[in-house]
Amino acid sequence: MLSNIFTVGFFVSLLASTIRLATPILLPALGQIYTQRAGILNLSVEGTMTIGAVAGFAATFYSGSLWLGMLAGMVFGLFYGLLMAILSVTLRANQVIAGVALNILAAGLAVFFYRVIFGIQSLPPQVEPFKMLRIPILSNIPVIGVIFFQHNIIVYLAFVMVVVTWFILEKTTFGLKIRAVGENPKAADSKGIGVSKYRYSAIVIGGIYAGAAGAFMSIGYLNIFTESIIGGRGFIAVAVVIFARFLPIRAMWGALLFGLATALQLRLQALGIDVANQLMLMLPYAITIIALVLASKKADFPSAYTIPYSRKDR
Amino acid sequence: MRNKLIKNLNQVLLVLGIIVLALLVGAIIISFSGNSPLEAYFSMFNGAFGSKQRFMEVLVRMIPLVIMALGTSVAFKAQLWNIGGDGQFIMGSILAMAVSLYSGLPAIIGVPVSIIAAMIGGGLWSGLAGWLKVKFNANEVITTLMLNYIAIYFLSFLVYGPMMDAQGSKMPQTALVPEAYRLPLFESGNRLHMGIFMALILVVIMIFFWKSTVGFKIDLLGQGEKVTTYSGVSVKKMIVLTMVISGLLSGIAGWTEVYGVQYRLLEGITSGYGSIAIVIALMGGLNPIGILISGFFFSALLVGGATMQRMTDIPYSIVDIVQGLIITFIIARTAINFKEIKNKIARRMGHVK
Repeated sequence: MLSNIFTVGFFVSLLASTIRLATPILLPALGQIYTQRAGILNLSVEGTMTIGAVAGFAATFYSGSLWLGMLAGMVFGLFYGLLMAILSVTLRANQVIAGVALNILAAGLAVFFYRVIFGIQSLPPQVEPFKMLRIPILSNIPVIGVIFFQHNIIVYLAFVMVVVTWFILEKTTFGLKIRAVGENPKAADSKGIGVSKYRYSAIVIGGIYAGAAGAFMSIGYLNIFTESIIGGRGFIAVAVVIFARFLPIRAMWGALLFGLATALQLRLQALGIDVANQLMLMLPYAITIIALVLASKKADFPSAYTIPYSRKDR
Repeated sequence: MRNKLIKNLNQVLLVLGIIVLALLVGAIIISFSGNSPLEAYFSMFNGAFGSKQRFMEVLVRMIPLVIMALGTSVAFKAQLWNIGGDGQFIMGSILAMAVSLYSGLPAIIGVPVSIIAAMIGGGLWSGLAGWLKVKFNANEVITTLMLNYIAIYFLSFLVYGPMMDAQGSKMPQTALVPEAYRLPLFESGNRLHMGIFMALILVVIMIFFWKSTVGFKIDLLGQGEKVTTYSGVSVKKMIVLTMVISGLLSGIAGWTEVYGVQYRLLEGITSGYGSIAIVIALMGGLNPIGILISGFFFSALLVGGATMQRMTDIPYSIVDIVQGLIITFIIARTAINFKEIKNKIARRMGHVK
């Protein structure tokens, strides 16, 4: 019985969908590395992704262009990030509360405008999502080709962004300054690094990544928008960043782990294996807690994590 | 005393101003959608206060929300960001339901036991997050959030599996709470149940709680670990205790919903009360009376919004939007006040020198 299930084919499709399912966690997590490195815990990623999903979906539906949809997701993500930046940097509000507030607002705005734009229909409106892009030659390699080289373009780009994000944060002065305002804003300020400016940038960049991930959900992974399309992925991304200790490569492994847990649940369910699938669905969340417990003692949180900065506080 | 009154009055006026502002912004968004804001708000108001039955429904909704918001306020006062109210509510309702399904106790004993079970369920779930925080330095924001999802799937597992009603229609729900166990209704024709007294009693208890030693220590905890350490309070113990108290209240909220409204467990029993409770707690200034008033306001908004969606073309989501706006304005306002206070302190310090 078991040998019939755990065939090569099973593992190949499991790992392929692991990569696909890791994408909408990887993208926002990479964005949140900037944000959290700058000392901001932004829980509104979840809401930003929902906004990105509806913006990307509507733009694609009306323009017919998937790339315009991705762009719309990113632009709306940018603006939603800006709201968080105003609240947490300029107004120095509590970041957790600001995040909760913006999530409620985002859920309201996304569903409201979806309803206003599309009305109530018996069949949900659909778009033609990003098509699978077979990488020439490589995709023909048995096993490996299917796992790694038969995805849509956004999946590849998300993994390319791991390297890009790492490079920007570790190898550029921009990245250095972002880390500086999260580590020691006072010292950064005295060296003439604008703390607000870099915190704003870090939050807004996080918003763009999250918006892109949201659009990926509605026009890259699925082809519809639903109220619960993000389903906690934004929150998982925040957790991934913490247990990846703010490093892009580790965040990739974290995202893949979640992808695997979800994929395993979907695959087993598709095969009609009677595992209580709710218990499988719990797995990613339980893993987050365990990983957080294992990582938190060692995690080098930015020293100014969640602390607003003001020149008056010297 | 008089100063305090004026201060409270100012607070109330500010909150009212914020509500008006949020409704105005909401009105702009509604008119964007080609609907009439006046019609929307009128049908919302009518939906909450238009008939005795609707008004009773507002009170029904208010019971769990106020209790949960009280729980949230305990953690928030200590600057512990427990955002896992939903999970604690669910764990409380699961244990409470288990008592009526499996204990076989007579109602006179079974009902009190079920309340205690609900408190244990909610309290342990949040206490776990508190323990992980003091033991492993795991951020309570993330852990309480993840525990929400785990509780949601656990509930789903139970109602599809071990706790599913065997005689029922194979729906994902448990059997009914025996009639003797249920919270009595005030009258037939609406759903208002005696749980309203539970909510009111808890409001009163919390007023005294904040005057007690434990309440005072929790308050201290919120003023920073240093203050607490100097005053000889074990910070770690207090963090766990604060989280437990916070969660057990949400557990009681779950009990009122199971024993007073649903009479069974089913998926989606919290309907996202957790984030609304956060909004209520903050708008109420983390103060029991404030929470009672803001709980009433938001319950009216929710019930009115649902009616509005049935009567007009305007989506219910406008309720979420208004909620989000109110809380956003409130935190913006707090932040600004905060600055002023700091300036004042800085100036005074300057004088001393």
